[in-house]
Amino acid sequence: MQHFHKKNILTGLLILVFVWSLFSVQWRADLFHSGGQSTFLHILLGLIQPDLSTDILQLAIVSSWRTLTYAVAGMSLALIVAFVVGILASGILTKGKTQRTAIVGFFRGLLGFMRAIHELVWAWLFVAAVGLSPFAAVFAIAIPYGGILGRIFADMLNDVPAAPINALKACGSSRWQLLMYGYIPHAAADMLSYTMYRFECAIRSSAIMSFVGLGGLGYQIQLSLEDLKYDEVWTFMFFLLGMVIVVDLWSQQLRKRLVA
Amino acid sequence: MSDKNSFTLKDVSKTFEETQALSSVSLSIEQGEIIALIGPSGAGKTTLLNILSNIIQPDEGKVRIYGKAAAQYSSGRELARKVGLMRQQFDLVGPLPVIHNVLAGKLGEWGLLKSMISFLFPRDKDEAADALERVGLLDKMYDKTSNLSGGEQQRVALARLFLQKPQAILADEPVASLDPARAEDIMSMLVQMVQQEKQTLVASLHSIDLARKYCNRLIALKDGSIYFDLPTAEVTDQQLTGLYQLMESKDGATVAAFS
Repeated sequence: MQHFHKKNILTGLLILVFVWSLFSVQWRADLFHSGGQSTFLHILLGLIQPDLSTDILQLAIVSSWRTLTYAVAGMSLALIVAFVVGILASGILTKGKTQRTAIVGFFRGLLGFMRAIHELVWAWLFVAAVGLSPFAAVFAIAIPYGGILGRIFADMLNDVPAAPINALKACGSSRWQLLMYGYIPHAAADMLSYTMYRFECAIRSSAIMSFVGLGGLGYQIQLSLEDLKYDEVWTFMFFLLGMVIVVDLWSQQLRKRLVA
Repeated sequence: MSDKNSFTLKDVSKTFEETQALSSVSLSIEQGEIIALIGPSGAGKTTLLNILSNIIQPDEGKVRIYGKAAAQYSSGRELARKVGLMRQQFDLVGPLPVIHNVLAGKLGEWGLLKSMISFLFPRDKDEAADALERVGLLDKMYDKTSNLSGGEQQRVALARLFLQKPQAILADEPVASLDPARAEDIMSMLVQMVQQEKQTLVASLHSIDLARKYCNRLIALKDGSIYFDLPTAEVTDQQLTGLYQLMESKDGATVAAFS
């Protein structure tokens, strides 16, 4: 009952904050850019009639390939890091309470640090450090995605039902055997499907990241935007959309096979 | 305390929060005995089994497992050679094929490398096949375990115990979630195995009929104490009625009872 009251008070407060925030907006005519309407129409036109000339299509294919390559390489690295650090951060291999607290604390902290910084910021840092090389793009994806995946893997391992694990313990399994025969088989399907979802996100990130000059779909979108060629922008966008859809279909197939 | 005993308990008490789960329980169990643990829900059957299997430690009293104080079993491996467990059907790793759940009985013997190799290319396959044949599931060897029915899963758990080969088996409601025919089926397989391997069995059971049919000693628990501990033949219907009685009014008439 008390809990219910507290929740209602919080909800009321948040609504008040929202209403109050509306007053800080200056509602004048120049809130919207006056030339915006014609630009908007221009963009819409590009959506209906994307540039499908051979030159642009060729460029789109090459850029898509590059974007995909960065995403795959970054994701592969992220997966390895997440698997190792995620298992350590879950604490299932630790013995005793003090050891558990220390190891879980350290590795959860490490994962937090990796994902607290956005991939775009990592990209800037790496471009500053190693220049405009593909490594910059790959590492910029691998680090934050490793952090995100690792955190979720650790949570999934912690959520594995206790009964089968206890039964394996009663058979005399060591902690490593528990990991192999108990924890991982239970979590594998969810881990895989989450990784596939994150791979989809990595493709989008990889495209955006090329804004810093690393090449790929995002870079082409940026160039076309600067030239106000919205029909080209849409061509590249459709390629990006296509890649995401293909990955989604692939992950559905994989999941179906694993769950069956 | 004699060392031929599988288990010896002396004045064992256990309290959870404010409820007394067991109060001053003493008993000894010899190798080869087949014992049913009976009594109403909440009588302390599971607590007693958990103490026998060293999963929880008593607040007071002494527990000896195969002549050794329970606290002195430092590794799960050493204990797994003495004591095997069987519970309800949620004890198996569902996503794994049946053969790996059976071979899990060997994990206490295997080193890490062998268990890793076996994960890809199952080792000791003949033994697993033999155990599965005994429980009538040879054709399901490579099926995903979670696709099996409840009764079949309990048979897989039995096959796992065949490979583990402990000296004593503790079974906590092994047939609770099964229909009577399947419960009978699992129970007879379990007892047959225990007799063949000359193991000790302590099983908590809800069904008095199963307990009387398969076990040669009945230990009845009520409110955390031993109500009676007798050879099956000596247990009277009156004692059983008393065991499951909910409460009595002052003049002695039964308010609610079931047997």
